[in-house]
Amino acid sequence: MIKPSSWSSREESLILLNAYLDDELDAASALDVERRLAADPALRAEHDRIAELRSTLASHLSAQRASDDFKRRIAAIAEPSRDVVVALPPRPSRTYDWRQMAAAAAVAAAITAGGMYGVLRQNSGVNEIAAIVADHQRALLAAQPFDIASSDRHTVKPWFDSKLALSPQVVDLAGAGFPLAGGRVEIVDGKPVPVLVYQRRAHIISVVAVPRAGQMSSTAPALQTTKDGYSVIRWFGRDFEYFAVSDLPELELREFVSRWREVTPGG
Amino acid sequence: MDERQRFSEAVLPYVDDALSLARWLTGNAADAEDVVQEACLRAFGAIASVQNANARAWLLAIVRNTAFSWMAKNRPKAITTTDDAGIFEQAGLEMAEPQASPEAILIRKADAAQLENAIAALPLAYREVLVLREIEDLSYREISKVLSIPVGTVMSRLARARSSLIQRIGMAGEGKAGAA
Repeated sequence: MIKPSSWSSREESLILLNAYLDDELDAASALDVERRLAADPALRAEHDRIAELRSTLASHLSAQRASDDFKRRIAAIAEPSRDVVVALPPRPSRTYDWRQMAAAAAVAAAITAGGMYGVLRQNSGVNEIAAIVADHQRALLAAQPFDIASSDRHTVKPWFDSKLALSPQVVDLAGAGFPLAGGRVEIVDGKPVPVLVYQRRAHIISVVAVPRAGQMSSTAPALQTTKDGYSVIRWFGRDFEYFAVSDLPELELREFVSRWREVTPGG
Repeated sequence: MDERQRFSEAVLPYVDDALSLARWLTGNAADAEDVVQEACLRAFGAIASVQNANARAWLLAIVRNTAFSWMAKNRPKAITTTDDAGIFEQAGLEMAEPQASPEAILIRKADAAQLENAIAALPLAYREVLVLREIEDLSYREISKVLSIPVGTVMSRLARARSSLIQRIGMAGEGKAGAA
């Protein structure tokens, strides 16, 4: 860094001249600069150039204006969350006493096979999330994060039908700032599942729809977790369990999910 | 006062300013929104520590630091401008010759695109000082706080940034005049 002692008098003059134009000098120093200006035509010319630069910058460079949508997003940071998002425990907590765990498992096993399934599902959920995030990352590395590119849900839905003989809700959220980009097929748990791809600025959102035949849609709060820096939000719709994955800020991904769920109250 | 109230007094009024700074640091509007949103989340987390009197400079400091970590993560190449800055620093601060004063006219004739290009070409360390002074209208003391550098450094960087802009715009203007 430049030390005052190493300033040439020229440099010092220029720096003081800048400070003078910025109205940062005390009265005595300002007088000193004015004396130098009167005696030095080169300094005077520099004064004119800097003053001209300042006024040109002021007249040409306008400040950014935040869009209403952006302002709403920022204001929402301080709002109590609109729909309750519950943190998804990353793995069964170690604070559980093993005896309680064993008892719970025994009870579950004793009552029904369905109960047992419930106990196991927790773990498979964690693995599923790891697989889904890994797939999202792979998709981002590929030339295109989708197998079919279309912003038209009437193109994407039949494409899934033809590929997989099943198709999830394809929701149009372009109006909310999340245009549809396309779809792809992913393997989760050894089975091919549809993935919808949405866009938000330069970010990609993958919505993985894992078929859960016969499942009723649920208004249960979405579950949220993060994995490798990606946010994952998981919720239940009719016949599908959905996972939204993205590197978007959590808040925006929540907004995406709550818009999605607004549009599909029954699905 | 609750956190929400503080946030709406200390952060929301300055979102435009925050966007402008982020836009000049990152170079584009979409990235600027990402940076500002993250900065506002950080600001909300630290809202208890702010006094309203200096809220704007406080928020800009957070935006600036967020922009740097954002750029380090998203485009590590852009952030390695320390060498540029060093060369820029050593080049010395020279005054143009007195007969070159028609430059003042070229500067007046410069259009917004020329100005933007010239500012974007400044090394980051100089660009941020210039933007905080000319666009955010902060005082030297505020800039020194936002950037955690001494006031003397603010002064020399600002002088260099302006000299460099004048030279660039002068050259671009001459090129244009020559071609016409």
